[in-house]
Amino acid sequence: MDHKIYILIVEDELEVMDALVKDLENFEKIFPVETANDTTEAMNVIDYILDHGHKIGLILCDHVLPGKNGVNLLIELQKDEATARSKKILVTGQAGHEDTILAINKADLDHYVAKPWTEQELQEVVRDQLTDYVIENEKNLLAYMQILDAEKLSEEMRKHKMTDH
Amino acid sequence: MKTNLKDLVSILIGVIGFIIPFFLNIPGLSEAGHVALSIFIIAAIFWMLEPVPIYATSIMVILLQVFFLSKQGVLFPEVTAEYSPDSYTEFMGTLANPIIILFLGGFVLADAAVKYDLDKNFTRILLKPFGSNPKFIILGLMVITALLSAFMSNTATTAMMMTVILPIIAKTEASDPLRIGIALSIPFAANIGGIATPIGTPPNAVVIGALSNQGIDIAFTEWMILAGPLVVVVLFFTWLVILRMFKPETDSIPMDFEGKFQKNASAILVYVIFGATVLLWVTESLHGIGSSIIALIPVTVLALTGILDKNGIRQLPWEVLWLVAGGISLGISMESTGLAEWIITNIEWSIFSPVFMIIIFSLVAIVMSNFLSNTVSATLLIPLALSLTTSGAAGEGFSLVLISLVIGVSASLAMMLPISTPPNAIAISTGTFKTKHMTRSGFVVGIFGLLMVALYALFYWPIILN
Repeated sequence: MDHKIYILIVEDELEVMDALVKDLENFEKIFPVETANDTTEAMNVIDYILDHGHKIGLILCDHVLPGKNGVNLLIELQKDEATARSKKILVTGQAGHEDTILAINKADLDHYVAKPWTEQELQEVVRDQLTDYVIENEKNLLAYMQILDAEKLSEEMRKHKMTDH
Repeated sequence: MKTNLKDLVSILIGVIGFIIPFFLNIPGLSEAGHVALSIFIIAAIFWMLEPVPIYATSIMVILLQVFFLSKQGVLFPEVTAEYSPDSYTEFMGTLANPIIILFLGGFVLADAAVKYDLDKNFTRILLKPFGSNPKFIILGLMVITALLSAFMSNTATTAMMMTVILPIIAKTEASDPLRIGIALSIPFAANIGGIATPIGTPPNAVVIGALSNQGIDIAFTEWMILAGPLVVVVLFFTWLVILRMFKPETDSIPMDFEGKFQKNASAILVYVIFGATVLLWVTESLHGIGSSIIALIPVTVLALTGILDKNGIRQLPWEVLWLVAGGISLGISMESTGLAEWIITNIEWSIFSPVFMIIIFSLVAIVMSNFLSNTVSATLLIPLALSLTTSGAAGEGFSLVLISLVIGVSASLAMMLPISTPPNAIAISTGTFKTKHMTRSGFVVGIFGLLMVALYALFYWPIILN
């Protein structure tokens, strides 16, 4: 693989960030995890990753952040072609009704994880979202069979007329 | 276009290899033979080092032959005593070779089957009688995989079977060798099953295409009678090997599959067409209608009914057809320019016994296709085998069909490495087993396969062919 697919976590509370990173350890072997404490830092990290020819597969974003809020960040990323396809998850306990609706309608939010989450729940959500991401964006799915949903990936390969040679 | 240094070097080697024969004067080789040698070298190097996709090389082979070796090409416009050039249509025509059309029919059928989940439901229904004993579940999985891969691509079959076995594997203990056994049984059975019919896998097409250029037509039924018994024996042996090497610890696996066949009109039509086509294929020798003619029936009916739509047609694996066509086309000029014969006559074959040569060809084919594409291995070896027999260099007891079969079948018996075949690559990607497991068991299967090919070639195939 000449490019890596990153997981980006945007969260301002240190303990929450640590918990998220720890719960996503299993994915790090294939999907490197980057973190940012606010939206400005997030944009910088994203630019850095994209500039180096890599991709953002998944963004886990808190809503209440210093400066611009999480939903606004996700909306902005949805408008940008380079991050429109990235899977977007809101991890929050405090997003109000209206913000959530906004996130779904304008940021094409893929999932909403309410705090507190369980490790298993989070891993399942991330596995599902990344599986969808690689199916939609990557050509060679074999590299992801071990970490992601192998059954779903196999089903995709079955439907995609893989041939002998 | 992305290229790295290794690819650039490979391309350079290929191009240099292509140029060299133009400056040589090899005694005993016609002028056209030199050109054919150039094309053979660049094709072989590109196919082996793969700086470009293997189908791209095949397309290039057709162009190079039209350009340099055909009657309409730049070098040999006239018929001479040494070389009577083929028309360019011969080379281009390989794309409509009956075997290509047969494959097209196979692709279209397999596609429709996948679209309506026929393959999945078929698997679930057929798996039931094998009960819940892990030994018999593995046997069941292997038999079904082999059956399906005889008519669908080995790779697509493997991908489908992964969706069946992954839930089974998830239910077993992580330390149980059963997991390894199940995960290995699928690609092995798919590789082996592909041998069973002409449309099972592309190397078979290369063999049949090359033979038809020699005026020998192998009927669908005949191929099945020749290859089928070998498939059964090797498959059964592989099952035993897997059970022995990866002895299941648990004695029962709960199986709760429900096969639900789709019942809408299109689905039923697909079942009928699938069944009817397969039936007509396997009974070719009874009614005498060629299998490639029959192959046009499903293509036509599925297109007329819209089940095969514009997108479906666009998404067919055309690259496989180009790959095979390029291979058949290469064989034409190697033969007609005398290149193949020249390669052959440089070796004193008569000192070798037929048994020895069968084993050598089989062994070379197995070793080559462990590292290269199976189709490429068959493509490179078949012309040599053909001229070995047509030139009479090999003497008695060495028939054209026989040695072609040896090569074609052996090319599918390579399964030691993840890169050997796409089914192997899929299976190992699940992380259920390590390369060493595949290498060990694949080695045993390969050696047994070699032995069986030799025995069949000596005792069984001659009976059927005569």
